[in-house]
Amino acid sequence: MTDMKNTDMEEINIATDVLVLGGGLTGIRAASEIAGSGYKVIMVEKDAELGSKKGPELIGLKEEYKGLQDLENKITSDSNVEILTQASLVSAAGVTGDFTARLSKGEEVIEHKVGAIVVATDFATGALNEKYGLSPAANVLTQSQMDELLASEADKEKLANKTVAFLVSLGQEGNPLVLERVLSSALSLQEIDGCVVYIYAGDLKVASNGLERMYKESREKGAVYFKLTEKPEIIENGKTISFFDTVARRNIEISPDLIVVEEELCANQLNEGIAEILRIDVGPSGFLQNDNVHFFPVRSNRDGIFVAGSTREISGLPSAWTDVENIALEVRDLLGDGKKSVAKNKAVVSEDKCVICLTCYRCCPHGAIYWGDKKAIISPVACQGCGICASECPMDAIQIGGFSDEEMIEEVKSGVASGNGTPRILAFCCQNSGFEAGEMADIFKMQLPDGLRKIKVPCAGKIDLDYILNAFVAGADGVMVMACHPGNCKSENGNTYAQWRVNDAYRMLEEVGLEKDRLCFVGTASNMGSGFSSIVVDMEKRINELGLSPLK
Amino acid sequence: MSTKNKKVMVVGGGIAGLTAAWELSRFNIDVELIEKTPFLGGHAIQYCCKATDECRQCGACTVEAMLKNVVNEPKIKVHLATEVGKINNSGMFSVDLKKSSYKPDFAKEGVIRGYSKNNSPLHVIVDKEICKKNPDACPEDAIELDKIGFSGKLDVDAVILASGFQPFDGEQKGTYGYKKFPNVVTGMDMERIIRENAIVVRPSDGKTAQKIAFIQCVGSRDENLGNLWCSQVCCPYALRMAERIKHQNADAEITVFYMDIQNAGKDYAGFYEKCKTEFRFVRNIPVDVFPIENDSLSMRYMKEEDGLCINEEFDLLVLSVGIMPGPDNSNMSDLFDVGLNEDGFFAGIDKLNSTSTLKDGIFLAGTVAGPKDIAASMAHAGQAASEVIKHLGVS
Repeated sequence: MTDMKNTDMEEINIATDVLVLGGGLTGIRAASEIAGSGYKVIMVEKDAELGSKKGPELIGLKEEYKGLQDLENKITSDSNVEILTQASLVSAAGVTGDFTARLSKGEEVIEHKVGAIVVATDFATGALNEKYGLSPAANVLTQSQMDELLASEADKEKLANKTVAFLVSLGQEGNPLVLERVLSSALSLQEIDGCVVYIYAGDLKVASNGLERMYKESREKGAVYFKLTEKPEIIENGKTISFFDTVARRNIEISPDLIVVEEELCANQLNEGIAEILRIDVGPSGFLQNDNVHFFPVRSNRDGIFVAGSTREISGLPSAWTDVENIALEVRDLLGDGKKSVAKNKAVVSEDKCVICLTCYRCCPHGAIYWGDKKAIISPVACQGCGICASECPMDAIQIGGFSDEEMIEEVKSGVASGNGTPRILAFCCQNSGFEAGEMADIFKMQLPDGLRKIKVPCAGKIDLDYILNAFVAGADGVMVMACHPGNCKSENGNTYAQWRVNDAYRMLEEVGLEKDRLCFVGTASNMGSGFSSIVVDMEKRINELGLSPLK
Repeated sequence: MSTKNKKVMVVGGGIAGLTAAWELSRFNIDVELIEKTPFLGGHAIQYCCKATDECRQCGACTVEAMLKNVVNEPKIKVHLATEVGKINNSGMFSVDLKKSSYKPDFAKEGVIRGYSKNNSPLHVIVDKEICKKNPDACPEDAIELDKIGFSGKLDVDAVILASGFQPFDGEQKGTYGYKKFPNVVTGMDMERIIRENAIVVRPSDGKTAQKIAFIQCVGSRDENLGNLWCSQVCCPYALRMAERIKHQNADAEITVFYMDIQNAGKDYAGFYEKCKTEFRFVRNIPVDVFPIENDSLSMRYMKEEDGLCINEEFDLLVLSVGIMPGPDNSNMSDLFDVGLNEDGFFAGIDKLNSTSTLKDGIFLAGTVAGPKDIAASMAHAGQAASEVIKHLGVS
C-alpha cells in the first residue's frame, strides 16, 4: 500500500503452514486448494464429522454433488492436510507470517506455527415462524422440514394432492439463497400428483444465476405467486391465509394443507468468538467482514487472515468456491517460499522514545503491532504503512518510511512558500482517494486554484494535528484534509482519525481567532476528478471571501 | 524451474480482464491484454462514485486502483484497439491479432475521451473531418483511432475470455422514448453524467432535476424479449444513485418503479429501509412515456392503493438497463470453440467451476459468463487466474 520512497530491503523467514478453521465443504475446499499449492494445512472442525451437513448449502448442486463427495473423501487421505475434529482454536498470538495458534482437542492443547489463517465457517438456519405468528404444528413446516420431506421418497408420496403455501421475503428481507430453496421445493412438489403450490412473496430475490428461469418454470407448471408488500393475514395458525388483492380489488382466501415458512440464513454462532481471538472485525449481521470494498472478496482487516464463503456473507457454494480460489492466490502471494523481502523502514519504532504505552497496539487497524521488552514492535509483513500509529503515538516514537514527520513538515513549508498573491491552499490527500482524484482533475485539465498544493499521505490517518497547525503557522490561507469516504478507508478508520484531528484543529483555530472556514475535511474517492475540482474551487471561493491569512 | 515465463492472453480490458491480468502477473506470468476499444477499464471505469456522507460500496473506485496496477506492471502488455483474428490450438495457442473493427457509437463529436488518468491515450479522434471543422474539440495530445491497434502473431499457454457485457439498448423498449425524448436516460448515461459533471442535470436544459423516476428491469426479466435473467446490478446501482441524488439535493422527489427490489451491499436490509424513508417505491412497471411541455415526461401506471391508473409527470426518467451478453459473444464462441449458455453468456463447466470451460486452456472471467457487479467480477477474475495457474502448473 505504501508508496515506498526508500527501498532498503531485508529478507525474513516466515511460517508457511496454514490454519483452516471449519471443516464444512468450504473449509475442505480451502484446505485442498491450499495444500495443492504445496503448503501444509491444519484443519480444525468442532464437530466429529467433516463435510456437508446436507443442508441448504447443497441446493441446486445436483450435477456437482458427486464431485463434492469425492472432495470430502479425498481430504482425509491428503498427506498435506492434518485434520483435527472436535477441536477448537484457543488463541492466536503473533502476526501474519508468524502466528502461534493454540488448538484444543479434548484435554490436549496443541501449539502450531502458521503463516496464514483461513476462516471458513458455515451459515446457520433460523426459524422465522414467530414473524408470521405461526406456532409449530402438523400443518406448519419450516423450509428445512420441507427439504427433509422432499428428500425421502416415502414422505414425498404423502404430499400427493396436497395444497402447499410458501411464505417468503415477508418475514425478512431475504436473499437469493432463501428464494432458491423455495423455488426448488416448489418445483419438486410440482412433480407430485395433484400437488398445488401457492407462494406468498415479498420481493423475489432473483439476483442469482438461474433463479428467474426457475421462477418462470414453476409458474408455467402451475404455481401461483401472490406478490405482496406486507404479510398476509394468517388465520387459525395457518388454516387459512387471506389478503387483499390490489389488482382484483377483493380478498383472496386460501386454506392450504401445509404452510411452509421461510428460514433466515445467519452467521455461524462461532464467528464472534473466532473474531475476538483473531482480532478481526465483525461486520453487518455477525458475518466476519466489514462492508468495505477494499476487503472484497476475501480479506479481513488483518493481513494473513482470510474469510471464505458464508463466513463473510450469506453465500452458496458457487461463490464460496470463488472465494477459495482467491484465497489460494492470496496465500501463495503472501507465503511464497517462506522468504519474504520487506522494507526496513516501513514503520520504525524508536527505542529511546517508546514507553510501551500500547497506544499503537490498540489503534493499529491491521493488528500488525505487538511488543517486546524495550519497545513496541511493528511487523514489517503485517504493516500496511498507513501511519495511524505514528500520528497517534503520544511520544512521536514511530516514523513511517517516506512519510517521516520531518519530511512531512518540510513538504508543508515548501507547499506554503512561493505564494504569489493567490490564496495558498494546502490539501493533505490520502494517496488512495483525494490524491488520485486531484491527479485526474489535473490531467483532464479541470478547473483548479493556482495556489493549490497537494501533499500526499499514505492514509488520512497519517495526517498529524501538527501538520495542519504547521501549515497555518507557515502561512497557508486554507487547509484541506481529503480522506476516503467513511466505510471506504483501506485502513478502516484512518479517515475517522483524520476527522477527529480536524475537529481538534477547529478548536485550536478558534482559540487563536482564525476562521474555521479556512480548514475543511472532505470525503473523496479516486474516481472523483470533477468532484475534486468543484470542492477545491469552492474552497478557494470561501478563502477569497475571508481574505488572505492574517498569520502570513 | 523453467527459465521461460508462461504467457497468457486475456481478451478484454474491463474490470475482469484487468483483475485477471494483474493477478497472473503477481505470479510471474506474462500477460498479453487485448482490448478492442482504444481504452482500458471497460464499462466500470465510466461509473461514478456513489458515496453520500459515506461510501455506498458500489466499488467504482476499485476499478481505478486496478487500472493503475495494470498500467504500471511491466509483465502485462496492453494492446488497445486490437482483436483476435484467428486462434489455433496445438498445445500452445497461436493467435493472430488484428486491428479492431471497433467503431464507437457515442462519438458524434468525432473525439472520444477516456475516463481515467491511467487510461492512455486520453483522447481518440474517430473522425478527422469533424476535427477540421471544430479544432477546439480535438486536444493536442489526441491520437487517431486509425493509428492504434496491433496486427501480429502471439503464442500463449492459456486464454482468459473477459470481454464483458453490453448494457441493454434502451431504444429496444420503444415506448419509453429513449433517444427520442432528451430527458429519458439510461443508468449508464447517468453514471457518465455524474462522473463528468459531479452533479445530476437534465440533458435538455442543464437544470437540476427535481422529480426523478427510475424504472427497474429495463431489458432484464423480460419474457417478451426472451431475457430470462435478473441483471443483479440494476437495483443496487439505481438505489445508490438515487441516494446520491437525494444527498446532493434534499428536495429531489424520487420514485422507483419496480417488480422486486434486489439486495445492495452487505447491510442490504438497513439500506433498503433507509431508501424506503427517502423515496417512493411503486410496484408497477409503467409501459408508456409521453413528452409534455418543457421536455418533461408523463407516465401512466397503476396505483396499488386503489387499483386506478394515473398519469404522473417527471423531470427526468432513468431507465435501469440491465446486463446483456456481449455483442461479440456468438462470434467469439465460434472463434474459440467455447459454448454459450441458453441466455447467450459463455458457459462454464458447472456451477462450482464457473471459470473453466469444456475447452482445455480457455477460461472465463467476469460478466462474459453472466451478470455480476464490480466486486463479483473481480472475484471471478481471481478465480479464473487461480484456475489458470493450476492449469499451467506454475509454482
